[in-house]
Amino acid sequence: MNNDFSKPQRESALGIIIMGAHTMLKIGKATFFLFLIAFLKMSGTSFVYLILGIFAIIAFSFILAYIWYLKFNFFLDKEKQEFVVNKGIFNRDQVIIQLDKIQQVNINQNILQKIIGVYGLKIDTAGAHGEEVSIKAIDETSAYNLKEHLITRQTDTQQEAERDSDRINETPFLRISSWTLLKVGLTSNYGQSLALIVAFFYTVIYEGRQLLDAFKINKDEIQHTVTGMLTIVTVCFLIACLLIVLLVVNLVRTFYKYFELEISENSNTLLLSSGLIAKKNTLITPNKVQTTTYSQNYFQKKMDMFNMRLKQAHFGQSKKGHEMQGNTLEIPGCNAGERDEILKMILGKLPPKGKTFIPDWRFLNLPIFFKLIVPVSFFLIIALNMPEVKPYIGIAIAYLVLGVVMIYISYRRHRISVSQDFIIKTGGIWDISNEIVLTGKIQAITTFQYPWHKGVDVGHLTLHTAAGQIHFKYGNYTEIKQLVNYWLYQVESRDENWM
Amino acid sequence: MCTENTFTNEVINLDLLPKYENIRLSRPHADYWKIIRINLLIIFGLLGMIMGILICFIDEVKANSTWMIPVYVAFSGSFFFLFSASFKKRGYAIRTHDIIYKRGIIAESTTIVPLNRIQHIELNEGLFSRMYKLGSLQLFTAGGQTGHIHISGIAIDEAKRIRDLLLKKLDQLEHPSADLNTNE
Repeated sequence: MNNDFSKPQRESALGIIIMGAHTMLKIGKATFFLFLIAFLKMSGTSFVYLILGIFAIIAFSFILAYIWYLKFNFFLDKEKQEFVVNKGIFNRDQVIIQLDKIQQVNINQNILQKIIGVYGLKIDTAGAHGEEVSIKAIDETSAYNLKEHLITRQTDTQQEAERDSDRINETPFLRISSWTLLKVGLTSNYGQSLALIVAFFYTVIYEGRQLLDAFKINKDEIQHTVTGMLTIVTVCFLIACLLIVLLVVNLVRTFYKYFELEISENSNTLLLSSGLIAKKNTLITPNKVQTTTYSQNYFQKKMDMFNMRLKQAHFGQSKKGHEMQGNTLEIPGCNAGERDEILKMILGKLPPKGKTFIPDWRFLNLPIFFKLIVPVSFFLIIALNMPEVKPYIGIAIAYLVLGVVMIYISYRRHRISVSQDFIIKTGGIWDISNEIVLTGKIQAITTFQYPWHKGVDVGHLTLHTAAGQIHFKYGNYTEIKQLVNYWLYQVESRDENWM
Repeated sequence: MCTENTFTNEVINLDLLPKYENIRLSRPHADYWKIIRINLLIIFGLLGMIMGILICFIDEVKANSTWMIPVYVAFSGSFFFLFSASFKKRGYAIRTHDIIYKRGIIAESTTIVPLNRIQHIELNEGLFSRMYKLGSLQLFTAGGQTGHIHISGIAIDEAKRIRDLLLKKLDQLEHPSADLNTNE
């Protein structure tokens, strides 16, 4: 196999199968319900047409895949330090990526790729969404070779050999066991799982309705039986079921994503690998990480566990105003020692505890007013005028108390700690997160103040980084201005490379 | 302890550092207020015309005209007021190492972009802006939508001058050695 990628080469021929299956799946997904309806509603004679149609789609997918395979090639331009990909079925597209713009290289394997024995390779750049390159089929050695080439940017053969042996010898310094994953699954990321379940139910209901429409089933009847079933007992039962489902989904998701998570260091880059069915390998260079966050909730604190998030640059201002996502790497379930190890690797040293700034008590005003007083008084007005709602006033009081406690906790947690090179923003109500930014990664700073806060010297601060913003609200404005001047001095006097 | 010491050391320095909040800001060109008014007039003129047509020809709308017209007037009036307030609050300044832009209707917000973090610069001239010889300057950073500065209503000559100055500085930042020779 050609190992230096300097000549244009095609991907593995097995890629035809992958691409074909991929296209088929896409068409299949889009037309699944169409087919289902057609299948259920049609008469026997048109069955042949249906089968023919399916075969036509399969043939079409594979022909497309074959043409795509013929037209797809890539090579590494060593002189210009660029990676060039030619592709396109009807129009000729050339994607050129400068090697130093590459953020991370992922090597994945989905089920089909695993069966066939090839790997997929994806290149993330700091560019806008949709410009990344993905090679669908490449054999293992080439994949890793190419990755080394892309990430390290050095192409002399000697170092290559060294690196290859490195790769074999490297031992992961962090390994997340299944037991830890179980704990992670039980204690975190409920929000995402909830969103997943909601999305799932939404599609089911939406598609179900279409099916009902298709079969002209009386909807009112169903609605009637459903509302008839809703008693207090069944509602409690349903909620309990939902909670269990949520936990299970959460666990499955955690295991699927982070099974056998390993982190190893390899010539100044971090290699993360994880995944249950599809193994995912990610290589990142520490100095491209823009913000590092570790978070912990009450349960996790008891178990000495942290979730970490490494955010890389995403340039959101792509033409369509579409913010790019997915440049966040998550490392769940590391203990304090492992967290420090990772922090050291990414930031160079452990961020020292610096000077801490806390917000003014006026922090409490707006949220209490808009989130508690306004809705509760609305509710009370309605409740006092409508006797049916009256028994639920207790809920409003519970909401008020809970809300006050939560807002107060968020006020107590909201703080920013500044040391010479680091800024640590702490915040959160349940999950307490610490977001660490190197001063050099600041892109722009905004300060603002409401006119009625001028007298009491209270103002707000926003730090813009390439991986999102960091807010510090209701601080002492004089101190904030001082900090801004200090950070500006740091950013402007040193000409650091932030990426 | 040690780290705290080094930090307090910096605090003393802090007072000697140049203060962004005390910089005198340049205001947008007075003609820019005319452009804002022209734009508002066009928008509300069109809106008013559509409303007029609807009121004249559709009976259902006609019945509602008693509250629609006052709402329209109040709406356009408040827009004029808000824009004039925001126009008065705007200001910008260019320092050796950064750009400061201040804006806001109620809250005053100041954004500072260090020159060595600018990704690219855009100079736009609209139809009406060209008539009054004005331009608007956009500075993009990697900080996304919120981290970029958009200064409108600068006299075009000045905008071009700023742009060239910034480009020269950017170039200097990227090739420090090459430019030192040509400059000195």
